[in-house]
Amino acid sequence: MGNISIKLLGKRLRNPVLNASGTLGYGIEIEPLWGIETLGAYVTKGLSIKPHHGNPTPRVWEERHGMINSIGLQNVGVDRFFNVYFPFFKKKKAPIIVNFFGFTEDEYIACAEKIKPDRLIAALEMNLSCPNIKAGGISFGKEPRMVFDIVKKVKAVTKIPLFAKLTPEVRNIVDIARAACDAGADGLTLINTMPAAGFDAKKKNIPLKGGLSGPVLKPIALRAVHECSKAVRVPIIGVGGIMDAMDAVSFFMAGAKAIQIGTATFVDPYAIPKIIKGVADYLDANGYKKIDDIIGTAHER
Amino acid sequence: MDDIEGKVLSNRAIAPGYCLLRIRLSRSMGAARPGQFVMMKIPGEDIFLRRPFSIYDYQKGVLTIMYKVVGKGTERLSKTPKGASILTLGPLGRWFTVNRSASPVVVAGGIGFAGVYSLIKTLRGNSSIFFGCSAINEISLLKDAMRFHPLVATLDGSYGFKGNVVQLFKKHLKGLKDKNVEIFTCGPDNMVKSLKQLIEPYKIPCQVLLEERMACGMGLCFGCVKKTTDVQEPYKRVCKEGPVFDLWEIFL
Ligand SMILES: Cc1cc2nc3c(=O)[nH]c(=O)nc-3n(C[C@H](O)[C@H](O)[C@H](O)COP(=O)(O)OP(=O)(O)OC[C@H]3O[C@@H](n4cnc5c(N)ncnc54)[C@H](O)[C@@H]3O)c2cc1C
Ligand SMILES: Cc1cc2nc3c(=O)[nH]c(=O)nc-3n(C[C@H](O)[C@H](O)[C@H](O)COP(=O)(O)O)c2cc1C
Ligand code: FES
Repeated sequence: MGNISIKLLGKRLRNPVLNASGTLGYGIEIEPLWGIETLGAYVTKGLSIKPHHGNPTPRVWEERHGMINSIGLQNVGVDRFFNVYFPFFKKKKAPIIVNFFGFTEDEYIACAEKIKPDRLIAALEMNLSCPNIKAGGISFGKEPRMVFDIVKKVKAVTKIPLFAKLTPEVRNIVDIARAACDAGADGLTLINTMPAAGFDAKKKNIPLKGGLSGPVLKPIALRAVHECSKAVRVPIIGVGGIMDAMDAVSFFMAGAKAIQIGTATFVDPYAIPKIIKGVADYLDANGYKKIDDIIGTAHER
Repeated sequence: MDDIEGKVLSNRAIAPGYCLLRIRLSRSMGAARPGQFVMMKIPGEDIFLRRPFSIYDYQKGVLTIMYKVVGKGTERLSKTPKGASILTLGPLGRWFTVNRSASPVVVAGGIGFAGVYSLIKTLRGNSSIFFGCSAINEISLLKDAMRFHPLVATLDGSYGFKGNVVQLFKKHLKGLKDKNVEIFTCGPDNMVKSLKQLIEPYKIPCQVLLEERMACGMGLCFGCVKKTTDVQEPYKRVCKEGPVFDLWEIFL
């Protein structure tokens, strides 16, 4: 079988397939079906310095080729995550990537400071789609200047490798990617959900606004990965609408070093193990020896 | 619990707008408890997410679902022919727990009956059953429960008591409220709300099966929450901490 292990920022991961933040609960919920150690690493639900209750319902809305969510970043807070849930990953020796967010710069900084280096913490992933309440609610990820400032401040308080997760709702994502890297980000996760609205034909109203995910997002994510991986040197994790192994392969070829699977798991709870196997099979069937052999191959020409 | 492929044995209308679907599963899904549900992948590319349905019955490898046609997915499901293959993930969620010392009372409205029938069956006639629907043409939903002598209300009075099921239940409340009873309920929001109002003064123990829009059905997305009295973490997942909740811990 093709070797699909990867080295991500100095850490060896058994494969390049991760879950997308917020789409695999706290990790334990999937255990009745498959073990969390199946993943290259488990990406946590978005954590914050204080717990958040999240939004009222409806929180999810179906679209023809995707869904809209407005969970509102419900989470138990970073302290409780490490007290209650982290021991489970410790016991399994399963590596994690800690996704976190804040509504002010101070909240991001406080959260990053709280997370102490650990052999099992492969990286931090900062969610830049959050509204900055001190800047009138515009998201941290929208302006290169704001991205530079917050990434720099977070880098200053942590020794753990840092991925910046970008929002696609920007004028030019390459500028944002450069700003994050200039500020010291060790990697990029591309992309978060796209702002969208759902319509209730029965009630004739808009029941929720939230983030669009699933197959509708894939070509947008693929383009972001392709353009940013040409522009910056740091490793890129591709995410957005990946439903099967061929989708995954397209992200590797576009330049992603690893990928994340979100919405696909809701449609098929075995999507992740199937994609891991499918990628390995693809390498075998096409005569590739290792995953690195297909990364960025779509850059040529 | 697992995601299991099944073949449709039959899928037929039992009342206008209501169907009964029987699926032979290719292997066992394990023990299914009253109140648990499955997430069903409805055949057809254009239905993106799965749909939650209560396990109406499950025995000898055959899963039965009773459903009401309300939209795109259930419409499509009603057209799914015999022999078609369907994926079902389950059994999921927390179930009704029967307290041996209290006498059970079941209150159901409309398709809510599908959520409590397996409980009624487990209780084997040892429960008082109140059921409400709009008119006599929906009485056939109750076919399997007729042997347990349900008390029936129809809104138009075409069968049994004229009025809604909570009004019918109210007539019997006097006799029940001082006894040691526990209520099990499932039905439209308005029904559950007025039932709650009615029994509030007596604080009768009550377990309620709730619905919410779902994406994953197994606790992964936090999309399906209801607000509870828990101060630390008010929003609980219907698919994981529910769908059966203590009525007194829920904000409706
Ligand atoms: C735990 C649980 C058990 C259920 N058991 C049954 C049952 O036994 N029989 C039955 O007929 N129905 C049951 N329902 C409701 C059933 O899931 C919805 O009627 C169905 O999803 C509607 O799909 P649709 O595509 O036809 O409707 P649409 O309105 O077109 O659906 C659009 C979206 O809204 C969601 N949705 C719409 N109505 C509901 C609802 N009432 N509850 C949850 N999601 C909804 C759908 O899942 C879908 O994602 C149950 C719901 C839950 C949560
Ligand atoms: C229900 C849900 C919750 C999410 N929660 C988070 C989150 O807490 N933090 C974050 O950075 N992204 C979050 N996301 C975005 C995903 O991680 C991912 O970027 C996006 O869904 C695109 O991938 P997909 O199409 O494979 O789902 C969430 C997405 C969904 C659907
Ligand atoms: S439907 Fe995803 S958590 Fe309940």
